[in-house]
Amino acid sequence: MFIKNKRYKMWAQMVLPPALLALGGCSDSGLYLLKPEGLMSRTFYHYFILDVVIMLLIVIPTTLLTIWAMWRYRKGGKGSYHPTWSHSNAIEAIVWGIPLVTVGILSYLSVKAIYDVNPYNPGVIAKAQKADGGDPVEVDVIATDWRWLFIYPQQHIASVNQLVVPVGTPVKFRLTSTSVVNDFLIPQLVGMIDVMPGMRTKQALVADKAGTYIGFSADYSGAGLSWMHFQTKAVSAAQFAQWVKSAQQSPQHLSYAGFNRFAKPYIAVGGDQQTFGNVQSGLFDYVIGEVMRGKVWRTPMAMTENMVNYMQKQRAEQKAGDY
Amino acid sequence: MLVHLQGPWSPLLGRLTLQQIPYHVPILMVTFIVVAILAAVVLAAATYFGKWGYLWREWLTTVDHKKIGVMYILLGLIMLLRGFADALMIRTQQAMAVGPSSPGEMGAVHGYLTPFHLGQIFTAHGLIMVVFAATPLLVGLMNIIVPLQIGARDMAYPYLNALGLWLTTAGAALVMLSLFVGNFAHGGWYGFVPYFELPYSPGVGVDYWMWTFQLSAIGTSLGSINLIATIVKMRAPGMTWMRLPIFTWASLSTNLIALTSFPVLMVALALLGLDRYVGTHFYTAGMGGNLMLYNDLFWVWGHPEVYFLILPAFGIMSEIIPTFSEKTLFGYATMVIASFAIGGVSWGVWLHHFFTMAATPSVNSFYSVTTMLVGIPTGVKVFNWIFTMYRGRVRYELPMLWALLALFLLLVGGMTGMMNAFASNDYMWHNGLFVVAHFHLMVLTIAASIFGAVEYWFPKVFGFKLEQKWGTWFFWFMVIGSGITFVTMFFLGFGGMTRRLDYIPYTQWSPYLHIMLLGMVFYVVAVLFFVAHLYVSLRDRVKNRAGADVWGTGRSLEWATHSPVPAYNFAITPNVNARDEWTWRKENGLTELHPGDYEGIHMPKNTGVPLFLGILFMGLGFALIWRIWWLALLCVALIVALIIIRSFDRDTDMTIPAHAVEQVESGARDEMSATMPTAGVRGGTVIAHSIPQSGTGGISGSTTSTSPSWAPMDR
Amino acid sequence: MSASAAQKVDPAQATLWARHYAGHDMIGTRTFGFWLYMLTDAMVYAALFASLGVLSHAVNLAGGPSPSAFINPIYAYGETITLFLSVLIYGYSMVALKNGNRGAVIGSMFVAMLLGIVYLVIAGVDIGNMFAHGIFPQVSGFLSIFFTIIIYHALHILVGVVWMLVMMVQIAREGFSANVIYRLINLRLFWHFQAVIWVFVFTFVYLQGMVA
Repeated sequence: MFIKNKRYKMWAQMVLPPALLALGGCSDSGLYLLKPEGLMSRTFYHYFILDVVIMLLIVIPTTLLTIWAMWRYRKGGKGSYHPTWSHSNAIEAIVWGIPLVTVGILSYLSVKAIYDVNPYNPGVIAKAQKADGGDPVEVDVIATDWRWLFIYPQQHIASVNQLVVPVGTPVKFRLTSTSVVNDFLIPQLVGMIDVMPGMRTKQALVADKAGTYIGFSADYSGAGLSWMHFQTKAVSAAQFAQWVKSAQQSPQHLSYAGFNRFAKPYIAVGGDQQTFGNVQSGLFDYVIGEVMRGKVWRTPMAMTENMVNYMQKQRAEQKAGDY
Repeated sequence: MLVHLQGPWSPLLGRLTLQQIPYHVPILMVTFIVVAILAAVVLAAATYFGKWGYLWREWLTTVDHKKIGVMYILLGLIMLLRGFADALMIRTQQAMAVGPSSPGEMGAVHGYLTPFHLGQIFTAHGLIMVVFAATPLLVGLMNIIVPLQIGARDMAYPYLNALGLWLTTAGAALVMLSLFVGNFAHGGWYGFVPYFELPYSPGVGVDYWMWTFQLSAIGTSLGSINLIATIVKMRAPGMTWMRLPIFTWASLSTNLIALTSFPVLMVALALLGLDRYVGTHFYTAGMGGNLMLYNDLFWVWGHPEVYFLILPAFGIMSEIIPTFSEKTLFGYATMVIASFAIGGVSWGVWLHHFFTMAATPSVNSFYSVTTMLVGIPTGVKVFNWIFTMYRGRVRYELPMLWALLALFLLLVGGMTGMMNAFASNDYMWHNGLFVVAHFHLMVLTIAASIFGAVEYWFPKVFGFKLEQKWGTWFFWFMVIGSGITFVTMFFLGFGGMTRRLDYIPYTQWSPYLHIMLLGMVFYVVAVLFFVAHLYVSLRDRVKNRAGADVWGTGRSLEWATHSPVPAYNFAITPNVNARDEWTWRKENGLTELHPGDYEGIHMPKNTGVPLFLGILFMGLGFALIWRIWWLALLCVALIVALIIIRSFDRDTDMTIPAHAVEQVESGARDEMSATMPTAGVRGGTVIAHSIPQSGTGGISGSTTSTSPSWAPMDR
Repeated sequence: MSASAAQKVDPAQATLWARHYAGHDMIGTRTFGFWLYMLTDAMVYAALFASLGVLSHAVNLAGGPSPSAFINPIYAYGETITLFLSVLIYGYSMVALKNGNRGAVIGSMFVAMLLGIVYLVIAGVDIGNMFAHGIFPQVSGFLSIFFTIIIYHALHILVGVVWMLVMMVQIAREGFSANVIYRLINLRLFWHFQAVIWVFVFTFVYLQGMVA
């Protein structure tokens, strides 16, 4: 079930600009994209470095050429003056040729990368799975206004604003939203995928290393967006099994009717984690169907107009519990 | 009422109630007081100095393309300042509201702005900067310069030109009004569906956003029809296509983009409007709507719009760089091809604005590659500018500094743009600050070209040069401010930080946010320098009088008439003999600007109709925003009536008599030095100054004044 | 070779100022601009038809009626006949304009306008019928775009009718002045364009809806 935690050979890291390395390597710099800890984000990083290096190969000489021309041909400088010189076939060929070749190379890499991290069937994860076998963990993600609900359909449990995944195992997501469009992102593990109401999207990830990673919504979804972040805990398989077991003990349950109450707009100021020990099966598909039939969780005027002191009030009456 | 509305509605006032005046929000009240005082001062001054008649005759009713252009630029600058104030508030809020222990002021949990308030600010910032600052500034420049460059007396449709201006102004006025009556949209300038649908945005904010956007879209489409027709139909004899100055070529390309893309925006917004007002299901998640349709329609406009903004900027750079390199532009033909290639490709890249929408990899691959293709013509342009300086004699005057800044910003912006086009990168930082930093560098490229263009063409329009000292300070503070702010923003982009957060949960990002705030301090100082720049220039306007060929090395036709340009542009329409006509004339010693033997000149008369239409359209917008149906119907009826009445007006033209032209022309003494400026002298223009003749000013339609008139813009 | 070298003009022989330059041709410029305007309107229609394509799947009916259930071909047929006849008769009015026959221009334009009004009446009855059967734009995504396209087209016809009315008054008042002539030419473009668009509306909204 485990995928070997081997690092990609990253020759490109050798030529990584030192400043970037220093900042990315620094453990608490907050530059999460430069510290990938999952297969998907590592793949991104690999192509990202390649892309930057190729671009710099063009941009740095061009910049130097500009500065040289500006210096050499300044008025009163040493450069020769040919006021009517305005055409050269050789130069034309070069100025069209260089961008053309660069774009050609980058296009090839880009297309390759797109297939490698295709959210629906990531090439890198498919390859790793082929090599090592392994059953993926399935997670159904529902974004409400403004919380994340992670349903583990195989385990019949759900968790709010907290995602727990086993290390080294592919995790496959199905995502939908109750109201507006959100974007699912865990910078150190996997890139974005839109989370859309009445529709189902997919994503997948493999975490390399145990740890707690940040995750959040990356698309503007309203007043609660800034608090729509969640913890991603990558744990060992044993710890994951233990967590599942303890979650299943949770007395709080989530039924279809309960979900309709849960999905009402709510700003999770200061985080709002909870687990549901039992989730009515088929909830994910039920939500998509409801939204397609026109179900709307209306945002009350108080959450879109003015809002002075609104969130303090809401935090005071912090709600949690059974739905 | 057609749809379910939250909150009260009455037939007389629609949704408008006293509660909609945000008198309890201190920031808005202070703004209101400042705006009110400023308005009072301006109105009082106009009354005190008895300038109402002048304003009415010379500006409000004018159909002169130069004055309309100046008003466009003025509108753009005012809105630029407003957009900048918004940016300042966003940066302050984000620097304050980091981490759970950060303080909250004025009713916000963290920072000093509630999510709702910040949402309005960043929406207004984006919309204003794109459609009410950059667009009017560029449209204004094209308005002034294109007819001069092609040797025309005016635009093809002067009346339509004024209408475009007043519609855009009506939109801008509604944006400003939303500060004090009701509120603005609070979800991003390009709108989200279904977030902008009525259930999730029940207030009037989205309606404000929608109608202001719509008004400016109509105004810009009208402007683009006008500019294309002007370039195609109004060129002076001898101005063949391959003699067209590059800025005019860029204008043609850019307006073709506008002409074809703005209607799609109108549809995107109109369908959203139907959803909000009639209760249809275009973009709803359920009931058979399709929310992706909005993204497609919007960005089918949105991406061409980006090139609509950047192409004139490229055109400006292609004018300034040869002038100050004292050399012919390198690769004229490739410049033209590249402009149209960018225009063409712009139509096939829009999906990269939603790479994360789970399209199949083949679709994303296609749009990733097409997006990269944009890099080819853009790269060619950069190389052409470099080779224009190569073998030249580069003078570092202010316009050239701005153009070179634009070039360097374009290098960085272009490189990061290519990185965004790489879809696997975009998956990581879509909606992130890396993208934000990228497009801010691109709009700064545009801004730098605009400032360069204003420095460059200002003397042509007003007859005196802007002073250089404060302008140089302004330039360098802009450079430093941009560097600090946006380089830092790239790093935050690597942090994975996304846009539009009113609270940042991760304290690791705090140092970067504070560095960006420091960059904003430089921007604030830069704005002060800009004001000083304008003030000192106006003060020293007599000292800085400029002749026809202000910079001494001007190349195209706009330098072959007096500065300031007379109302009729050219006393006798020039006959064009070469690509850089003015350079060609200077090389051959043919710089006489007073051919004599003048004839009467046929010109359009001033009219107040466009202004009234603008006011009525603003009323219509206001009525629709607040759902005051009777007022909306009244405005539509009046608009139709006014258009029909105007069509019966046969007295729309006039002739400037030959003797009046003679008088104006003899008043101008642009004695040209036959030689190019001497080497070594910084800005060594050897030009005698023309003597200004500000009589009653301007040839106005209603008064049949025959007194000598200049474009009286220097008063 | 330098491109500017090819078009070198001898400075000694050069004309610098185009004296007695008549300037542009007013009617040509106005009609050119109107073509550009029609391009923008064509783009509006293109966007609307693209939306129709997007919203024409089974899911977009949202359980509401499908077009084959409620489209009545009689009305579409009637609209086609009246609109095309109107365009034809407007063509006669342009022939009369060439002959400078004021009465014939006004007369045929009057008939064209009447046919336009007939079109509007048919469209009104058609839409009214649908409404009477509970087929509203608010029912489903498909019906939203369906009604938007046909009503937007009908609004164009209304504008054309008003425009013809205004032109008849103007011809009567000032005869064939340059202003009137360019407006008549533009109105011809406008009116023909509505017929062209109708072909698309008929094909993609009515016909395709009926067979779907």
